[in-house]
Amino acid sequence: MSGGITRRQALLGMFGAGTTIAATIIRPASAAEEHPAHPVAPLDAVAMLYDSTICTGCKACMVACSEANGLPPDTSLSNGLWQMPSQLNSKTKNIIELYKEPDGPEFAYVKRQCMHCLDPACVTGCPFGALKKNEWGAVTWESSLCIGCRYCEVACPFDVPKFEWDKWNPKIVKCEFCFDQRLLENREPACTAVCPTGSVIFGKRVDLLAKAKERIAGSPNKYFEDRVYGEHEAGGTQVLYLSSVSFEKIGLPKLSSTSLGHYGTKVTSVIYKWFSGPIVLAGILGAVIRRNWKRHETERPEREKRTGFPDQL
Amino acid sequence: MSTQDRTGTNLINHWQRGVPAYSAPLITPTFLALAALTAVGFALAGVRLFSPLGRFAGMNDEYAWGIWKTFNVMTLTALGSGPLALGIAAWVFNRQKLHVVMRTALVSGFLFYATGLMALGFDVGRPWNFWNAALPWRWNAESAMLEIGICMPLYVAIFLSFEILPIFLERFYYTSGERTRAVLRRVAPLLRRIYPFMLIGAYLLPLMHQSSLGGLLLLAGDKIHPLWQTPFLPLLYLLAAGLCGIGFVIFLLLLACLRYSRPLDLGILDELGRLLCAACFLFLAVRAIDLIWRGQLHAAFAFDRMSIIFLVETALITIPAFALLFNAVRQTPRSLLKVATLACLGGMYYRFVPTTVAFHPERQRGYFPTLPELLMAGAYISLAFLCFGLAVKFFAVLPGDTHGWKNKFRVIRLPQWPWTRHHDIRSESRPNTNPEGEPA
Repeated sequence: MSGGITRRQALLGMFGAGTTIAATIIRPASAAEEHPAHPVAPLDAVAMLYDSTICTGCKACMVACSEANGLPPDTSLSNGLWQMPSQLNSKTKNIIELYKEPDGPEFAYVKRQCMHCLDPACVTGCPFGALKKNEWGAVTWESSLCIGCRYCEVACPFDVPKFEWDKWNPKIVKCEFCFDQRLLENREPACTAVCPTGSVIFGKRVDLLAKAKERIAGSPNKYFEDRVYGEHEAGGTQVLYLSSVSFEKIGLPKLSSTSLGHYGTKVTSVIYKWFSGPIVLAGILGAVIRRNWKRHETERPEREKRTGFPDQL
Repeated sequence: MSTQDRTGTNLINHWQRGVPAYSAPLITPTFLALAALTAVGFALAGVRLFSPLGRFAGMNDEYAWGIWKTFNVMTLTALGSGPLALGIAAWVFNRQKLHVVMRTALVSGFLFYATGLMALGFDVGRPWNFWNAALPWRWNAESAMLEIGICMPLYVAIFLSFEILPIFLERFYYTSGERTRAVLRRVAPLLRRIYPFMLIGAYLLPLMHQSSLGGLLLLAGDKIHPLWQTPFLPLLYLLAAGLCGIGFVIFLLLLACLRYSRPLDLGILDELGRLLCAACFLFLAVRAIDLIWRGQLHAAFAFDRMSIIFLVETALITIPAFALLFNAVRQTPRSLLKVATLACLGGMYYRFVPTTVAFHPERQRGYFPTLPELLMAGAYISLAFLCFGLAVKFFAVLPGDTHGWKNKFRVIRLPQWPWTRHHDIRSESRPNTNPEGEPA
């Protein structure tokens, strides 16, 4: 080799540069700390507590949400007359749904919106960080970073993020805890502010969790399984639910208490830590290929003489 | 040249180097059919540029990924993993025999990857924001989607392109004048100096992104049926890529040799068969260990819908695995073609199912691709086959006998416009006079 640098040195130099880049520019995937199996909510984490037994289904929160977020009414089911979404969609960030037992008296309302997970799968998967866990734990979306890959829709265990399928420049639409609209102005989200019955209330997560447990303790056998949905589900969420009807029946999926971010990154975070796995593998590949390449090149003249043709790569 | 097989029979080594199929007819009914489908796809792609995704495709918020991602990218890049699987066998595990089939693997791999990336480009909703990839501080390093989004285009644009460069330079050398040849002769040693370094990236990158394709599905969690949702997904996706890659190169070699009346080289096919056999068993072993470790064997043999889908998949890989143990199967082209096809189908099936049939979001609206979606998916595939056919005819890709070949390449005849009538468009091939210092 010319210039007094051997291939080995060049190779080592390349890896060295790679390590430096990985260490300085790329956020290190030290997921062991970033994604604990059971994340602990920070003390300033905000939350919503929704008590299905209080809700009367007036849908004031839906109107307030659309107004605060500037969303057009979804009138597809009402022939263009009034807002009537069938489920969360690209025009609906918040919805009151009714569960009714097929052959019985049991019924319950349920409010659906982003759960603002403590360790959100959508944030872990989002390639350029368009979805991010913002201040106080609100999961927000930044349009300039989103490539529209829809991985968040695949990853979200609650099927919350929605894509504007009918737009040429589609956005991801989901509840952002009224972060820009209200939280930053020190106001609570539109839905909790407007709720006339107090079935959905806003506060710090620690306080609301304690309050929910108080309610359970205050009226035994009222609440399903005497537990708060969202305390542990998917590693814990910042929206908490109380219900007298089974959570699964009202559409809240049964989930393990391990966060998806932990499950999804526990192996790769070790392999890709400081990019060490690929670097070591590149070193091994390089050494073996170099040996085999040299052998191949040594045998080349003989091969060319035998076939009468120049060697092909 | 000949070698002896185990029984002492002389096997003729028919595959000595890449030889162009220079006498095969260019415009055939197949060519026209593929070109027509590709043209329809291009027209639809043009419409897609101005059409929202929802009006164009059957995808919805529950099944947010349609066949462009689940088939053209997830499944077909596994078929395009021949350069990875055979390259590692040839250059890392020193299976010298395989060098001669590398060009077939490289060209098919390049085409499936390139068309897969095209599919991805038309699938994403806001492709103009992809420029963020140029700003590493905006990368979410723990996202498998980021890894794929950066790694896959990089692999195609740099490493695969570099690996197929010699195929172009070789043709260029033999069809140009002495001055160009002199330049190329000077370039050739340079190319050979870089080549082993490029090989490192050419294997490292696909090892990373093929496993990341499986890693993507980890975050989908319980939405994917427990027979498929496992921490082993990245490894299994990688092994399935190897399996499909080897199987598809066998499939392509046999079909192309049949089509262009090439004699077969049973020695090399036997080697490929052995590799495919090992790949199948490796995949099955990891799959079995995973199911036992997670205690999901009962689900595999519950004989409900998902269990049967699983059993079909396993059968598609188990049959070739055991069949390929027999010399008679590996050395009979007809049966080798059959088992290689089965193995490819099995591997593709494994890569396709977790994102579609075994994907159960909470509210199932169901998804079936629309006609334009299907036509565009088909067009990417037909474009790949169309280009493969052209590559085989114009470049020394398909392995063959050197007997009687004098480095003659098919001449590209440009249309003779009136104003060029007096120019002599010389791309006439010349016989090779100087075998020393050839480009590649």
